[in-house]
Amino acid sequence: MAETLLDIAMMHADTLILRAKQGDQHAQGRLVQLWYKRIYNFCFKFFQDHDLAMEVTQKTFIAMCKSLPALQDVLRFKSWLYTIAVNYCREEARKTKNKKAVSFDLVVNPESEQSPNWEGTNVRHDNPEKVYQSRELSDILQQALCMISAEQREVVIMKEYEGMKFREIAEVLNISENTVKSRLYYGLEALKKILTGKNINKETVHYEI
Amino acid sequence: MKYNPTEADWIDYLYGNMSSEQVMRFEAYLIENPEAQKKLESLQEMRKWMTSVEDKEVIAPPLFITNAQNSFWQFPYAKTILSIAASLLIIIIAGWLTNFHIQTDGNGIRFAFGEEKIIEPVDAKPNLTNEEVQVLINQSIASNATALEQKWMQQQEELKKSVNKNLARTASNNEKFDLLVQQVASASQTQVQAYMASMQQQNLKSMQEYLTLTSNDQKAYIEGLLVDFAKYLQQQRNDDLRLLQAKITDVEQTNNQFKAETEQILTSLISNNNGRTLPTGIRN
Repeated sequence: MAETLLDIAMMHADTLILRAKQGDQHAQGRLVQLWYKRIYNFCFKFFQDHDLAMEVTQKTFIAMCKSLPALQDVLRFKSWLYTIAVNYCREEARKTKNKKAVSFDLVVNPESEQSPNWEGTNVRHDNPEKVYQSRELSDILQQALCMISAEQREVVIMKEYEGMKFREIAEVLNISENTVKSRLYYGLEALKKILTGKNINKETVHYEI
Repeated sequence: MKYNPTEADWIDYLYGNMSSEQVMRFEAYLIENPEAQKKLESLQEMRKWMTSVEDKEVIAPPLFITNAQNSFWQFPYAKTILSIAASLLIIIIAGWLTNFHIQTDGNGIRFAFGEEKIIEPVDAKPNLTNEEVQVLINQSIASNATALEQKWMQQQEELKKSVNKNLARTASNNEKFDLLVQQVASASQTQVQAYMASMQQQNLKSMQEYLTLTSNDQKAYIEGLLVDFAKYLQQQRNDDLRLLQAKITDVEQTNNQFKAETEQILTSLISNNNGRTLPTGIRN
């Protein structure tokens, strides 16, 4: 979520979107570069699968470049882009509903000590205990996210990790703001229930803000 | 009226989307309801924990998108339309090759393959009048009669020829017969007698032979019959004798039994009347 101010400014740069809309391939490429990480992380949190997230992200940006000339209001670019991503996520989820596969990420974890990339990560510089606790909680939370309904998951990810406004989420999902809030409330409750079931509570998590 | 926050209120409070008045009201509700307080803490805790999930670093791959917006294939229904057109073309070609045609008339629709046969309509109007038909019939009858007459004449001729031939043959036979009769008549009386005598001799001889043969057979038969009769008589005699013996034995047994019974009666009478004078005055 953390982006540089320049990137955020670029994301909302209407001129860049306008240029991309007019068919400027450089501007389109820049837009892809700016939004790729956000869309990928949204998809990754939705699927918990790197390959699926990459596939959906690429589809989203291909669709974005093709349909950009049809975008009427450049101010609504963000919600428009997330609408495309959500639709592809749903489509892919339908396709992979009955398929079971192990992500390559689970086999080769770049942050694992056995991985040749481990030395390049920042993980080894942190407090090992804190890193371990944080990673463990992160893993459990990501698993829990996959256990709640897709509708609740979409809203929780958009609000908590994409930092979107309720209005924007309502626009993306084409529902009312109250429905968004209701889904978020039940989503958080469901997550809490799952974590309680996994014996995650105030005492077991010595989490420092 | 008691305040009961909705899910939207909870989320608004949690994400700081409430006005100050709403916040006051919500907090008052929290003070009144310790359970709600716990719930809020739980949700806040959940949000805190969620920050532990960090974004993954990813490098955007270069995207090469061809500018093919005006391409015919980009048209959404191009493939569908083309496939329908291709199907129709195949059907038309197949129809043309098989000479397929559809006809509609008063009787309905007709689908057919191959060359169409044109059947000329039959003129319902008669070409011949009744008189003409009668003339034709008469002509036909006359020609038939002529043909029959000719045939009959021919057969008669053949019959005549055949009769003449047969007559000629019978005439020659008669001549032969007459010749034979003449030969017989010319034979002498002695020859006839000799012939008759030889005939008698032959007959006698054959009769003798016959009688000899039959007498032997009869003798054998009568002998057999006599033997059988003798056997029968012997058997009958034996049976009679056995019957007689059985009767005699039976009579003997009856006699013995009668004798025993009489003795028994007499014994009992004697023992009962021991010392008593019988009415007849006889003492036992």
